[in-house]
Amino acid sequence: MGRVTLKGILAHKLRLALTAIAIILGVTFIAGTYVLTDTLHATFDALVGSIYQNIDFQVRGVAQFPTKDAATATRNPISESLLATVRKVPGVEVAEGTVSGSVQFVAPDGTLIANGGEPTLGVNFDPNPQVSDLRIVEGRAPSAPYDVVMDAATAQKYHFHVAQRVKILSALGTDTFTISGIAQYGSANTLAGVTLAGFTLPTAQRLMQEPRQLSNINIVTRPGTDQAAVGRAIARVLPKGVQVVTGKTVLAEQTSSIDQDLSFFSTALLIFALIALFVGAFTIFNTFSILVGQRTRELALLRAVGATRRQVFRSVLAEAAIVGLLASGIGLGLGVLTALGIEELLRGFGITLPAGALVFEARTVIVSLAVGVGVTVVSALGPARRAVRVPPVAALGDRELDAGFPARRRAVAGAVLFALGVVFLASGLAKPEVSLVGLGAAAIFLGVAILAPTFSRPLASVIGRPFVRVLGVGGRIGRENSIRNPRRTAQTAAALMVGMALVAVMAIYSASASRSTTGSFDSAVRADLIVSTTSSDEAGTVNPGLPHVLASLPGVTASTVVYGGQFEVGQTVEQLKAISSGGLADTIIVHMVSGSLGSLRHGSLLVDSTTARRNHLAVGDPVRVKFALSGPTTMRVGGIYQPNAVIGSYLIGDAFYRSHYADPTPGAVLLDTDGSSRVEMLVRHAVAPYRGLQVQTAAEFKKSETAQVNRVLGLVYALLALAVLIALISIVNTLMLSVLERTREIGLLRAVGMRRHQVRTMIRSEAVILAAFGAIIGLLLGAGLGVALVASLGSQGVTITTVPIAELVAFFVLACALGLGAATWPARRAARLDVLQAIATN
Amino acid sequence: MTATTTNVVEAARAIDLVKAYGAGQAQVHALAGVSVRFEASRFTAVMGPSGSGKSTLMHCMAGLDRPTSGQSLIEGTDLTSLGDGRLTELRRDRIGFVFQSFNLVPTLTAAENITLPVDLAGRKVDKSWFDHLVTQLGLANRLGHRPSEMSGGQQQRVACARALINRPALVFADEPTGNLDSNASAELLTFLQHSVAEMGQSIVMVTHDPHGASFADRVVFLSDGRVVDELEAPTADSVLERMRTLGS
Ligand SMILES: Nc1ncnc2c1ncn2[C@@H]1O[C@H](COP(=O)(O)OP(=O)(O)OP(=O)(O)O)[C@@H](O)[C@H]1O
Ligand SMILES: [Mg+2]
Repeated sequence: MGRVTLKGILAHKLRLALTAIAIILGVTFIAGTYVLTDTLHATFDALVGSIYQNIDFQVRGVAQFPTKDAATATRNPISESLLATVRKVPGVEVAEGTVSGSVQFVAPDGTLIANGGEPTLGVNFDPNPQVSDLRIVEGRAPSAPYDVVMDAATAQKYHFHVAQRVKILSALGTDTFTISGIAQYGSANTLAGVTLAGFTLPTAQRLMQEPRQLSNINIVTRPGTDQAAVGRAIARVLPKGVQVVTGKTVLAEQTSSIDQDLSFFSTALLIFALIALFVGAFTIFNTFSILVGQRTRELALLRAVGATRRQVFRSVLAEAAIVGLLASGIGLGLGVLTALGIEELLRGFGITLPAGALVFEARTVIVSLAVGVGVTVVSALGPARRAVRVPPVAALGDRELDAGFPARRRAVAGAVLFALGVVFLASGLAKPEVSLVGLGAAAIFLGVAILAPTFSRPLASVIGRPFVRVLGVGGRIGRENSIRNPRRTAQTAAALMVGMALVAVMAIYSASASRSTTGSFDSAVRADLIVSTTSSDEAGTVNPGLPHVLASLPGVTASTVVYGGQFEVGQTVEQLKAISSGGLADTIIVHMVSGSLGSLRHGSLLVDSTTARRNHLAVGDPVRVKFALSGPTTMRVGGIYQPNAVIGSYLIGDAFYRSHYADPTPGAVLLDTDGSSRVEMLVRHAVAPYRGLQVQTAAEFKKSETAQVNRVLGLVYALLALAVLIALISIVNTLMLSVLERTREIGLLRAVGMRRHQVRTMIRSEAVILAAFGAIIGLLLGAGLGVALVASLGSQGVTITTVPIAELVAFFVLACALGLGAATWPARRAARLDVLQAIATN
Repeated sequence: MTATTTNVVEAARAIDLVKAYGAGQAQVHALAGVSVRFEASRFTAVMGPSGSGKSTLMHCMAGLDRPTSGQSLIEGTDLTSLGDGRLTELRRDRIGFVFQSFNLVPTLTAAENITLPVDLAGRKVDKSWFDHLVTQLGLANRLGHRPSEMSGGQQQRVACARALINRPALVFADEPTGNLDSNASAELLTFLQHSVAEMGQSIVMVTHDPHGASFADRVVFLSDGRVVDELEAPTADSVLERMRTLGS
């Protein structure tokens, strides 16, 4: 029986190769994701390790708010005087204070240097080889206030050299420094894309706005001392609000922080891999169903000469397993190549990843092969069961055999699965719980795919009507072919259905999200000009002096400063905004539901109506809150406003803000002007020296907010295109199999006078009908899912539901065009069949 | 069912076999109560007009199809009492088939098609038996060919070899020469006759051709799903004459 399986595979090389493509693509994606994220892990871990490996203890401020991610927690700086205290603790060999923050080099062409989202570090450069791996490779350490040490990678990339001048952007604005030296970590010239600027301690403290303060103190103990005892001794000399932790703890915190970021990233990519495989599974199922159908007589013959049911079942599954294994192997290989490709793809969308040697783990191989083979075998289970039901007598006649499920049972199974899917999806969206949503969507797709044969005949027949009228006999037979086997039509279209449904969901989500964003800015901003930071990075915060300068420019009629910060409400840490109340009416539109905006001036807390409803708050209610600087306190709700895109969920007055935050950092300045172009020019001119700030008109501001949504969507569409591609393979495959299966029939048609181009028309009509069928169901289903998704995102600011009809119609047309493209090869093959040979085949 | 006469052993037997298709008014009785014995080491021909139930009888007696009622026995084993697994094994090991057409798996070579029942059972091929069959049937230089590369006669001979490779108790052949010219038919029938005479094989063959039937030791006539007559040691003429009387 093994031989029968093998020969079967060899005989159907082409058809199985097409099937394999579906698996190859999915596995490629999985393997690529793993290789990429493993490589990133290794690179980052090496980086973190090289920074913290020598340190025994670190003294630092206690995290302001309890958080899961200790590495990125906001911490108050500690006093510089602690350094001397710690050094006196017995057992401490070295203690070095560090000040670190974010600064950016300015490239010779005036742009800010940043490698994608990697940190742009500014530190005090005082490398003690016992504490740090950082060393000077050229020049010397900084000694003067305007000296800077640059990392070797940046120096190389932008051709900076020792003694050259370089501009650096900090919270204070742009300053010119002299490069005193070039440094690198150990032997690596780059630290995973991190740029580094090293200053003298006072300069670093000045730039980071932490005068006479340190971010933390790194400690190395004397060899041979009792580490734990030293740790306890250090803890005893520390004031309240300062803690000592071991180097290992810091390392673990940093690593787990990186892990969290990466796991989000790899989960996102793996979801797309699963989508690709899910769509691929339909293709596999379809191919094997058709193959089993075509081989009914052959399978019956095997049964007649004594193959047991189990042998037939195993042979179909073995065939699937072999194809799955081969395809997974190829996918694995391609995955490694793709890891590089994904990196490029992400770079194309503005996300740069650090470089490092590719990491190839055993897990990658195991998961890729297991998933690839698993999906193939599971998809072939149904067809294999059908193969088993072929009775031996089927070998003897020409009778068409339908060994499938009876229609009634099918409809019930499909409906039950569909209903289950809806329940899962609804509860998943309500929670929200992504895996439940995914499960629900998968069940809905499967349910519809099972139900599809019950309505594929009438629907395909309606879709095909215009073909009959326009394309004549070729179109008519094409249409008939598409309805003569409803189950096959439905199965073939199922893969495209899933792909198109996902595309529709994304289209509706993106349209609704960007409409909601613009809409919410429309009803939130009245200002003409908005000065804000180009990045969410610290380096870009607005200089505290700037708002005054801007407010006093001629032509500026009103200005509002928006500050941002964190605080604790109940048990959770929330973002809070503060605004200066002067001129508010001309810059920000706040619709009060109850209470008054004026209460801001008396230290009240304002919340938006969604938050108020969720937390059962009313005007006058007390709220327990906690600020990092001043600790716990009780505030009163002074008013409730309609959700507003600019001011978020919680709002306080600027006076209150300044008294509760250490270094008030304006996030944006909104200006109302007389509308002249002169004032815009003046504002731009005033802001120009501050790198990292931008001036936008209200319209530009809105556009850039939606552009952000759209950029991510571009990536999602690119990844979904993969699913649609796999779906098209399903159509190519089915048509190809149909052409082979109908060789005799096509030969007969040709013999009685059908022209080649009519044969092509026939196949193409069938393809377009199949594609249109899949696209219609998919888009309708996707529209439903999309509206449900958007409805569930109301609390996250997606308040307007928009179904972009024009876009969906465009997708429909695109799907039909792709279907036509998919027919090219099968149509050519059919048209080229030799008439005599085709008739002789049996 | 120990039906033995002095030296004739029973290979297969049908007892009151009924096979009905459809239901109600449209019901057709392909077999309307057939009882017949096929002796071991004999060559029996089954004849009858088209639609008389010959193929149906073969299928029910060979375990390819299940009768509506009645029993069919192979070497004393009642097929109707067996589950699919045992039935399949029996078909594989004790029964051989030759159909009118589509006998071979198109993706396998002649040699692989011949050994298929042995391979399916996971046994080793009896090399000398295989060689004997192949030489007897003149297939030695065709073994590597696929069905599509062989003539109809060659394909039927491959099917014969496959039917005999397991030394079955009984070979059923449903119009094995239906698609062959008189020369190819004669070759095949001579081979079948020889395997009965020299190796003691039991064969039941459906045919429409009186000349073909003359190769058999005995002819059974069917009509409208019933056995209507039989003839020992037939010649082409005696068969023809009997057919004429039955037809009138
Ligand atoms: N699957 C079926 N469904 C309904 N009727 C059937 C089926 N198979 C056979 N029959 C009927 O049973 C009867 C006997 O058929 P069978 O194939 O046994 O005839 P036959 O003697 O082999 O004929 P031929 O010489 O033409 O091959 C016929 O009337 C046929 O129409
Ligand atoms: Mg017949």
